[in-house]
Amino acid sequence: MSNLPPDMDPIATLDEAIGSAPAEIAGAASLDELEAVETSLLGKDSAIGSVRRSMGGLDDELKPKVGAKLNEASERISELLADRRAELAALEEERRLGEEMIDVTLETVQFPAGALHLVQQTIDEIVDIFVGLGYQVVAGPEADLAYYSFDALNTPPTHPARWEQDTMYLDWGDPADEINLRPHTSTVQVRWMETHDPPVYVVVPGRCYRRDTIDATHLPVFYQIEGLAVDENIQFSDLKGTLLHFAHEFFGPQSEVRLRPHFFPFTEPSAELDVSCFNCDGGEPGCRVCGGAGWLELLGCGMVDPFVLEAAGYDPAKVSGFAFGLGPERVAMARHGIDSLRHFIENDVRFLKQFR
Amino acid sequence: MKISLAWLQEFIDLPTTDVDELSYAFDMLGHTVEGLERLDAGWSDVYVGEVLEVAAHPDADKVRVCQVDSGTGPTQIICGAWNFETGATVAVARPGAILPGDFEIGQRTIRGVESNGMICSEKELGLGEDHAGILVLDGAPQIGTAFADLVELPDVVFDLEITTNRPDALSILGIARDLGAWFDAATHIPLLELSTVPGDTPISVEIADPSGCRRFTAREIRGVTVGQSPLGVRHRLHKIGVRSVSNVVDVTNYVMFELGHPLHAFDADTIVGDHLVVRRATEGETLETLDHVTRQLSTDDLIIYDAAGPTSMSGTMGGARSEVSGDTTRVIMEAASWDPPTIMHMWRRHDLRSEAATRFERGVDPALADVANQRASAMVQQIAGGEVLEGAVDEVAVGFGPWTVELEMVEVTRLLGEGFDAAGVKGILERLGMEVTGSDPLNVTVPTFRPDLTRPADLVEEVARIHGYDKFDATLPTGSAGGLSPQQSRQRLLNSTLNGAGLSQAINLPFVSVEDLQGLGLATDGSDLLTVRNPLREEESKLRPTILPGLLNDLRYNQSHGNVSVALFEYGKVFSSDPDPDDPRLPLQYDRLAWAVVGDVGLRGLDGTELKADGPLSLAIWRHIAGALGIEATLTPGSHPAFHPGRTAAIEVGGMVIGHAGELAPTAARSFEIEGRVAVAELDLAPLLEPVPPPLFEVPSVYPHVDFDLSFLVSDDVGARALLEVTTQAAEGLVEEARVFDQFRGDGVGEGSKALAIRYRLRASDRTLEQKEIGAVRAAMIEAASEVGARLRGA
Repeated sequence: MSNLPPDMDPIATLDEAIGSAPAEIAGAASLDELEAVETSLLGKDSAIGSVRRSMGGLDDELKPKVGAKLNEASERISELLADRRAELAALEEERRLGEEMIDVTLETVQFPAGALHLVQQTIDEIVDIFVGLGYQVVAGPEADLAYYSFDALNTPPTHPARWEQDTMYLDWGDPADEINLRPHTSTVQVRWMETHDPPVYVVVPGRCYRRDTIDATHLPVFYQIEGLAVDENIQFSDLKGTLLHFAHEFFGPQSEVRLRPHFFPFTEPSAELDVSCFNCDGGEPGCRVCGGAGWLELLGCGMVDPFVLEAAGYDPAKVSGFAFGLGPERVAMARHGIDSLRHFIENDVRFLKQFR
Repeated sequence: MKISLAWLQEFIDLPTTDVDELSYAFDMLGHTVEGLERLDAGWSDVYVGEVLEVAAHPDADKVRVCQVDSGTGPTQIICGAWNFETGATVAVARPGAILPGDFEIGQRTIRGVESNGMICSEKELGLGEDHAGILVLDGAPQIGTAFADLVELPDVVFDLEITTNRPDALSILGIARDLGAWFDAATHIPLLELSTVPGDTPISVEIADPSGCRRFTAREIRGVTVGQSPLGVRHRLHKIGVRSVSNVVDVTNYVMFELGHPLHAFDADTIVGDHLVVRRATEGETLETLDHVTRQLSTDDLIIYDAAGPTSMSGTMGGARSEVSGDTTRVIMEAASWDPPTIMHMWRRHDLRSEAATRFERGVDPALADVANQRASAMVQQIAGGEVLEGAVDEVAVGFGPWTVELEMVEVTRLLGEGFDAAGVKGILERLGMEVTGSDPLNVTVPTFRPDLTRPADLVEEVARIHGYDKFDATLPTGSAGGLSPQQSRQRLLNSTLNGAGLSQAINLPFVSVEDLQGLGLATDGSDLLTVRNPLREEESKLRPTILPGLLNDLRYNQSHGNVSVALFEYGKVFSSDPDPDDPRLPLQYDRLAWAVVGDVGLRGLDGTELKADGPLSLAIWRHIAGALGIEATLTPGSHPAFHPGRTAAIEVGGMVIGHAGELAPTAARSFEIEGRVAVAELDLAPLLEPVPPPLFEVPSVYPHVDFDLSFLVSDDVGARALLEVTTQAAEGLVEEARVFDQFRGDGVGEGSKALAIRYRLRASDRTLEQKEIGAVRAAMIEAASEVGARLRGA
């Protein structure tokens, strides 16, 4: 440790230190070098350090002047150091970030993600549209009395749908109460109305069974979404408006619907609903969805037959209603261009995960 | 049903023949257009010609050299057909003519003899199937006439879907009536005069079973010459897809398609005796039908008998014994009204669907029987010759006639809206052939050809249909309060949670095989399963009592297709042969949830290793969904034949075991041919969806926390949960969080024991914990661990 040489003027020494500091500080190329520069400028062995140490031996007259100069020098140099430190830190971070570059196309982290079955997604989406219209979602048994599958729905005992060629019957229970695997979720119409007073606004998604061989367009077990609205003053135009709303929500606001007369034992008047093709927007020859027809046959519907209302204990003179039934698998096939219903029961994850 | 536009126009004065307008009308009437065929001549330069001379070919014995005049003077044509002689009128394709299939006719030389054109067969012209010889024209058309002028072309054939409630529309007449109402156009049956000779049809008919036959008409035509129908008849039948058989048989088809009433022609000379009886068959009887199949008759079959026994099946197919043949000269034309269910059962039993059966099973107008019979008889007379006897048989066992339906206008306006008045409704119904009197109610007399209209609602549909479904507004009902139930919302949450854990939803057919259940280790011979009485395939006969076999088969299917990491869940009904306690008329059926996961999970464990599916993963899935759904459950070591005995938990919710989660037993994995450990679970679904009370807020402590780790040695039969519980209890509410972060077996840990390292976080809600207190709590926790036989590792 050296004291200030007796022949040196402390003020001049400090002025010199202030004068040379900017160049020395600027010369530090890294935070480590800057630390060394700081020691050389402000440390014990620095000019400033020497002056500070020699303060005790100064004349009283000189002391305040040198003290003030000393403060000025160390403040000035500290400022310069701080500025340079910030500069170097920024440069250093810039360099480090440059080195941390990643391949954004490389999937290094993956969250596991499963998918709902496409049929379930389709059902949920359709059901939600009707929930938005004030419908409830209800269910019923899959193995049910023939009464609910047929009799209560105005299907005569001789109707072919009841025959063993078409409907699966169970070997169970009292032969008088014939039990079948329901061929449609329309079974829930009378089941629900028997135990609930009007108004009724319900949709019934569920599994149905028919004696069909598995192929591209048939499954022995499939889903159906039944809709039923019974209230005072329900008219044919309400059926049309409800299904138009559904088409707009599901297929897009450009969709049009068309009702064509048809026949079902449990509705009168009955209709089939066509929706304008969402793919070609109508009549493009060879369209993969509509085949050029411009329309897709979507569902069967109609005004609830008075027989059904009576079977449920309702008075057809006081309330009226409409019902419809659509197949979510068919809707999904059309919408996603799926070629065969077999995909829906194979549960190949390469199918399932395509629809997340 | 196929409808030829040209033929249809004989029955209605159509205001348009525009195909789009007609298609729209058919669709809007409920007779959806399923197909459309535009028929054009398909040929050019074909003319009517006369064969002037036929001579042998000097150098070929299979063809002949003909001189033919098709309007341009004698021309030489070589012809390979032999069904004509000099004087025949034929269709001649002149050189340069184009025949269907872009077949161009040129001038050729056949074995040194020149041939200038071709004499055409019916098939070559696309008019029918007949290829046996050339087409010989009847009716002496003018030589040199363009042949296209002789045939009904161009034409359009519509293929219509006729709904089962409209038997009347399975005919040109019925379709014309509907179009007549739609376009407000006049309809008519084209006139075909029947001239008769005196005399009675020499048979009598007895309807011994009026439940099966309400009317039977028969008429004899004698002196008939059975042969080919004229070109016009053959061509019309060809256009609608009906094969021409012979003039007499063609007439029965032709008139059936015109009027909708099936007919049958008997060869009168093959009928034994002069008395026909309609009755149900006797067990053991047989009948050979026209297709030469000998049918075993049952007592439900309705049969026409003569003195020699069964001769014809009612309404489905005639008998071979009384078939009209080339030698037939005496024909009995029959038109009878059969009971729809009887015919429906009969054709199904004998697998004998026919055009006739299709109509009878839906209901044919009994009033039409003799109209059809007269028309067919007149047509036989016209194209096959002969005389029709004046006296016909017309047995009526059950009377028929129009009926009346009273229609109050409120029935119309209530369903269809206020835009309908009595005059408009009356107009629509009258256009459909009904008689209407009164204004409100309307007294509507329904003709016998519309058996589907018996109630006011049926008439309302007719009003809507003819008014046009397209003309109705689109409105929404005033609506109601709806929404998903709490259970349905929780189902959505459950699904999303499982998806978020990497599981995809599978949907399997709800059937099961006994072998698969046995493969799962379940003791069953199938007799305890709910069984389908009439399965299409054996695989679809037993309803599943568990969801697992379907999922496990899915794992195998995926592995065999190279999908090594598979995580699936499924929920849906399982079935039992026990009665449903809530409705004992039904078998028990309720929802279960299951999952099955194999292969890499796509996650790493705490030590960095790739997790593969196994028992602990299954429990992690359970905890994941239980946490998301707020379900309080108790897990205890569980036992289930399909599950690994040491890696399975029984899950108890609300005091009830609702199922198991863990690892698939290796025997079951082998039986389903799955590679690797399988995480599986199956649980009752309903308890998971029960709403839980909303959690109450706890204010987070503002005081600092203290973390420390304790490592315990504990016997394998003590669960981590028990150790966590006793140590946490000992801290008297200070443990904010406790988590096992390591489990170790092996060196330094005794046989049958494991080391569990637990990280505890302590925090008080009202003070900063001091070192002294922390030390005391830690000691109490270690002391409490001994309650489950655990001691501090290294202590």
